[in-house]
Amino acid sequence: MKKHSLLLLSGGIGTRMQQDIPKQHLLLFGRPIIIHTLERVDKIEEIGEIIITCPKQYIEELENMIINYNLNKSIKIIQGGNTRQESVFKGLTEINNNSVIIHEAARPFVKLADFENLINSEYSNISYGLDIPFTVLKKKDDYISENLNRSELVNIQLPQKFNAEELKQAHIKAKEEGTTFTEDASLLLKYSNSKVNIINGSDYNIKITTPVDYKIAEIIYKDYILNEI
Amino acid sequence: MKVYIITGASKGIGKSTAIKLSHDNPGDLYIILARDLSKLIETKKLMHVDSNVITKPIDLSDSDKVIKLIRSIGDEYGRIDYLINVAGYVNPKSLLETTVENWEMTFKVNILSVFVLTREAVRFMKKTGGKILNVASTAGLSSRPGWSAYSSSKAALISFSKTMSDELEEYGIKSYVVSPGRCATDLRKQLAPEEDPTTIMQPEEVADVISNLMGENGNNLDGQNIIIRKQL
Repeated sequence: MKKHSLLLLSGGIGTRMQQDIPKQHLLLFGRPIIIHTLERVDKIEEIGEIIITCPKQYIEELENMIINYNLNKSIKIIQGGNTRQESVFKGLTEINNNSVIIHEAARPFVKLADFENLINSEYSNISYGLDIPFTVLKKKDDYISENLNRSELVNIQLPQKFNAEELKQAHIKAKEEGTTFTEDASLLLKYSNSKVNIINGSDYNIKITTPVDYKIAEIIYKDYILNEI
Repeated sequence: MKVYIITGASKGIGKSTAIKLSHDNPGDLYIILARDLSKLIETKKLMHVDSNVITKPIDLSDSDKVIKLIRSIGDEYGRIDYLINVAGYVNPKSLLETTVENWEMTFKVNILSVFVLTREAVRFMKKTGGKILNVASTAGLSSRPGWSAYSSSKAALISFSKTMSDELEEYGIKSYVVSPGRCATDLRKQLAPEEDPTTIMQPEEVADVISNLMGENGNNLDGQNIIIRKQL
């Protein structure tokens, strides 16, 4: 059985949530947000290891959390970088499989099947994505500068799966050139010849970023995860 | 083979529940807990001969021992499918006569031990799903002058059970709470010493309900306080 590594990004420090604790440690229906993802992944045999990148000051708290939830997987927590891109690169240097699945701890509505779809896909590099239902324009200073055809755009969602070595080499090139990216499909596209396939994501798989996201999170949990509403 | 843990199994509702479940589900493993080993052995003798029964004497007010025991059960058998918390404590006194020690012991046995047992069992149960049932009391639903420690501990147990029903749902764990009314147990004798026990509900009748809830018939009854009361 081919094994994959999960790289779980847990870099938030709570600024946009206006909280003293990072959003991924806030409780969602009784459990820390990050635990929702970890407990689901814990059931996936094909995931051989989990690397979590996290700010140094939260490593001990996260270690204790993982002990309390009695998870089976091998989990390694490392200090993240100053940027998301740095954190991913640091994580890539730690993994022991040729395939890596990258996910964000602040997206707790990822289902087991979402991971399994990536694992079972024939594509080495694949990302969830959604059509954009609204208009996005480019701006310059305070003026609209360019129209964008939304039918050509995609709202990228995590999780994503990549060939680990290809992504690592692309990161090295990006580091050499000093370029920054907000996610890894665009980074890989820029610095390798590899294609990244897109698979349909879900409107429910939101990233909890703002206080409003947190307010609606319990409703999404009950409706989408527990199927109660 | 399913693994059951039943507390308070030396007498009353706990004893009747252990006996009933073993006859309804012979062949499963029953770990029965109470302080008095000799009484646990008496319960074991009445359980189905094909059941695997392990007696574990323990004082549930000692949290460290409870934690150690549940972890050893989980490690040894790899699963805990059913946790049935029946053990109870009462020492009825008026407010002005209730000592801190009385209040603490009541809460230690009736709610703290249930929390500890649940937390430790869920660490294993979350991998397979399962059922947790707590025996509260109708005393937890209304004013009971002279029983304030007992009745408020049972109110806490009802609330805890309902919360667990939501919090543990994604694990496939169902949390039940039953509140028996007057039932012919030793505990009841302390609350109502003048009462004729033959005229009120018997522990076996409560055990019948519990056994139903632990089977498929109970799958849609979790998360709500179920009152078991003989109508007069």
